[in-house]
Amino acid sequence: MKGKAAITVYRSREEVERLWRDSAYRPKYIGDADAAVTFNDAPGDRGTEIHVDLERTGRGGRLGDVVQKVVGAEPLAKVKDDLRRFKQHVETGVISRSDGTPEGESAERKLKQRPAQPLDEAELQKAGI
Amino acid sequence: MRATVWSGRNSVQVENVPDPRILNDRDAIVKITSTAICGSDLHLYDGYIPTMKRGDVLGHEFMGEVVEVGKGVGNLRVGDRVVVPFPIACGDCWQCKHERYSACENSNPNAGLAEKLFGHPTCGIFGYSHLTGGYAGGQAEYARVPFADVGPIKIEDDLTDEQVLFLSDILPTGYFGADLCDIKGGECIAVFGAGPVGQFAIASAVMLGAERVIAIDAYQYRLDMALNKAGATDAINFDEDPDIVEQLKLLTGGRGPDAVIDAVGMEATHGHGALHTMERVKQATRQETERGHALRDAILACRPGGIVSVIGVYGGLMDKFPAGALMNKALQLRAGQAPVQKYLRPLYERIRDGDIDPSFVVTHRLPLDTAPDGYETFKHKQDECVKVVLKP
Repeated sequence: MKGKAAITVYRSREEVERLWRDSAYRPKYIGDADAAVTFNDAPGDRGTEIHVDLERTGRGGRLGDVVQKVVGAEPLAKVKDDLRRFKQHVETGVISRSDGTPEGESAERKLKQRPAQPLDEAELQKAGI
Repeated sequence: MRATVWSGRNSVQVENVPDPRILNDRDAIVKITSTAICGSDLHLYDGYIPTMKRGDVLGHEFMGEVVEVGKGVGNLRVGDRVVVPFPIACGDCWQCKHERYSACENSNPNAGLAEKLFGHPTCGIFGYSHLTGGYAGGQAEYARVPFADVGPIKIEDDLTDEQVLFLSDILPTGYFGADLCDIKGGECIAVFGAGPVGQFAIASAVMLGAERVIAIDAYQYRLDMALNKAGATDAINFDEDPDIVEQLKLLTGGRGPDAVIDAVGMEATHGHGALHTMERVKQATRQETERGHALRDAILACRPGGIVSVIGVYGGLMDKFPAGALMNKALQLRAGQAPVQKYLRPLYERIRDGDIDPSFVVTHRLPLDTAPDGYETFKHKQDECVKVVLKP
């Protein structure tokens, strides 16, 4: 269980695999970590399951050290952020942003929420919006 | 702009905050003409919903005029008059495609937080803690509405704000509660709580064909509204006699209601002496988030093989859950935040057709700047308060 994450995207496997490789969609963290990624058809025409295993690299080796180097703590939380953002981007065309979490789903933001009130100009720029 | 912000337990203030801006192509900005305080806002006010932050803009029942649209919003134009549903839903995920909008998989950017408490994330909600996304709410002059191409409904008649405002939450929520009861005609439905949602659950049960609808509350003025305006056939005032289960039996020839709607939620007030005291203590010391009397009694009162429909808001964990009654009586337990988008169009048509005029619940109309008074009046049920509408 440790180091594994999965999400289901409501699109065909062909489309999900294609977008996963597309530089406009490709999840950066999972890509940099070179984690093992597999795609399965979800049952009942519910789209495509994406499974990420941080214990194995895309080349079949063990990962551990690489992950720590790339991100520091909580690699699994970063993987989950990546998966949720990929799903949002593919399904809705946008990354969901709120006033509390203007950058979109982010492990770092979980514990450092902004108040849920609109951002001023300086904060918008800082958040890259 | 002016906005109502949460500033700690039992405290809200109206402050100046930055105007909202379009953050995504599918956003719109709405200039708010009417907004309301919801019973579920009182759970935030009272401090029982986790993950609130000082400065959070409150409010999830609002309507107004579109003043800006993102380039991905094709169905709305500047100047359109809209009512905005409280659940934020993308319209594209598997849940939305099956009309379970309040289970939207994409609209909550704090999915990781919600997952820790609930097992799975649920939809984003305006002004309703950071568990549901950390979105600024609508008790303000303006609001940013994400996925504006999916949620808001255009109002093209000369209906007043008060006739359509409650499409944002409490009318669809009450209707959803009744819809969960599988009403086919002739049933007996009991509704715990004659607040605004309870009033609309009663009215909806009547619209769907229930023959007897029993309102349950401790305030006679609310029961009178249920009987005279919402269409309840019977009322139980548990301030006079707290044994609700026994009274429901007597009213139903010993059998019990076919379905029971819990329109109360986590801050139930009746309960049985010692248990109520214990739960007040556990809630005050944050060892338990719910006072669960309404849900317990709903399960105990429902006839065997019946349905318990939960639309009152719960936030975490509850003690002394009557699992034995649930199982042995073969009850169906159904619940949820209402998938408002599913019901918007049909309920708008019912309002237009005159089947229901939801404005009957409004008892107080206040300027936005007096929102703190509105919260106090509503919380303490002063001045026979049922529903407060704020005008920015």
